[in-house]
Order: sequence, then structure tokens, then C-alpha cells
Amino acid sequence: MTGCGKGLFWGKKLLVAAALLAGMIGMPGPARAESPEAQPPPDPAALLAEQNAALSRDLRRIHRELAALRADMSRPGLQEVFAGIGYIMGLFGAAAFAASRRRDKPPPGSADNDPNAPDRGQGRT
Amino acid sequence: MHISDGVLPISITVGSYAASAALAAWSVRRTRSEELPKVAVVTAAFFVASLIHVPFGPTSVHLLIPGLAGALLGPSAFLAIGLGLLLQSILFQFGGLTALGANALMMGVPALACGVFFQKLKGRSRRRQSLVGGLAGALGTALAALILALLLASGGEDFFGVAKIALAAHIPVILIEGAVSAFTVAFLVRVKPELLAPAFVQGRPRQPELNAPPPEPPDSPAHG
Repeated sequence: MTGCGKGLFWGKKLLVAAALLAGMIGMPGPARAESPEAQPPPDPAALLAEQNAALSRDLRRIHRELAALRADMSRPGLQEVFAGIGYIMGLFGAAAFAASRRRDKPPPGSADNDPNAPDRGQGRT
Repeated sequence: MHISDGVLPISITVGSYAASAALAAWSVRRTRSEELPKVAVVTAAFFVASLIHVPFGPTSVHLLIPGLAGALLGPSAFLAIGLGLLLQSILFQFGGLTALGANALMMGVPALACGVFFQKLKGRSRRRQSLVGGLAGALGTALAALILALLLASGGEDFFGVAKIALAAHIPVILIEGAVSAFTVAFLVRVKPELLAPAFVQGRPRQPELNAPPPEPPDSPAHG
């Protein structure tokens, strides 16, 4: 009786070990093998449509980002602003320089009429 | 408010180029060399003002200060605005180079009109000057919208329809511009009143304010 009981005990232990082993190693195998049989094979058209929807969603997002980037690039940046201010100051500075030179050094024809150049008139007479 | 390339017919483009070249030449001749720094500063302000976007409801509007430029510069305003628009179209791609003449007319003629308006009506008191300055600022934008409609009408659009749309779209700009101009003129009246006296008649002596003594120390020169 005890011998038989011991044999049963060992048999139970072996069974448990086998079950554990099967659980650790064997289970994924059958599960993987079973899944295509459990579900009906997907409709290729539906799969394509799903992929298309996902792709076009992504594409739309990228288009949006591209448009935002383009709008961002067409907006003038700091560089252009300072370039323009520099142009304005430079052009008006050049104009003021030319004007001041013209005022300081009148052309020879008008030297006699210029009241600001008395020494030139004295030197000639 | 900029006209783009290819919107206007060729004849209008060429005609507006000729008209704005003539006006610019007149403006250059009327600009005195002592005023060049002032013109440069106002030009730079005009150039940059179009970048200041004011959020307004769903959209955002940007300043265009033809009225203020006219009030400050008088006849030189056309030069300032033409140069500012040229640089804007080169650097910012605002408007096109071929439409530059039309754009200069659209902004420059209101500036000259506002200059005359401001000089005629500014009176002597500070409050009246800032009020008239604000009116000039508002009037400048409204006139620019009307000229825009006129120019677009030459391209086959319906004048009244375009004018209505342009004015309606610029009502916020007109209001903001009036406020900005009134504030600026009020500030300038207090700190530098001689800036507000551009000589439309050449050789007219510039009078300092009689009943509004400048708050500067007495040793500073009267004319900057």
C-alpha cells in the first residue's frame, strides 16, 4: 500500500514537472501553430484598406508639417529684418554723406556766390 | 495689403511704375539733407512695422503705417515708403517686384495725403495734435484700402465689391493704426515736437510750439 502510494506520489510529481515543462516550453509552440486555424484568414482587401488608411493618415500629417515648415520658412527671420535695417541706414548714410560733401565743396562755378568761402575770393583778387 | 505679381494688367503696372517714379523723384527733391536721419528712421520703422502681427480674432493683422509716416515726413514720405517697400519685396517676398510701382502708389499716396491732412489740421494743443495724428493714421490705411480696390478694379474686378471687402478686412487695422498713431504723435509732441513739422512749403521756418514749451533742458539745441 505504501509502495503503491509512493509510486503514485512520484508519478504525480513527474506529471507536475511534465506539465510545468510543457507550460514553459511547449505552450508557445502550439499557440503559434493554432492561431491561424482559430481565426479565419483575413480578407486581403480589408488588410490593404487598413494599411492604406494608416498610410494616408501619416501622409496627411507629414503634409501638414511640410506646409507649416514652408510657412515658417517664408516668414522673414531676424536676419532679413536686420539686413533691411542695415540697407536703409547705409543708403541714407551714403545720401547724407554725399549731401554734406556737396555742401562743403561747391562746384567751381558757384564758388564766387558762396558766402562760406571768403578766403578763396580774397586769394584771387 | 500687398499686391502680388501678375495680378494687375501690364498697362496699369507700367503706368503705376511711371507715376511712382515721378512721385519718388519729387519726393527726393523735396527732402532736405538735414532731414535724412529722420527719414531713415521712419523708413526703418515702416519696413519693420509690417512684421508686427497683431492677433485679432481668428486671423492676425499687421501694421502698415502710411499715415504715421506721412505725418512725420511730409513730402519725404513717398521716398521712405518706396524704399521700405522695395526692401520688403526683396527680402521678405511681400508683394512682387513687378507690382512695386502699384504698391508704392497704394501706400505712398495715402501717406502724402495724410501728411497734408495732419499739417493742415494739427493745430497747437497736444490733445488736438494726437487726435489729428490718430485720424491721419486711420485715414492712411483706409485710403490705402480704397486705392487697392481701385487698382484691382483695373484688373477687371468689381470696384465696390473689392472696396467693401478690403475696407471690411482692414477695419481692425484701421482702428489699431489710429490708436498707434495717436499714441506716437502724443509721445512725440511731448518729447520732440519739432519732429512733427515737416516743411511742405520749402523754406518755411519751423516754429516751435508756443503754448507747449518743450520739456527738454534749456541748453539742448532746439532742432535736433
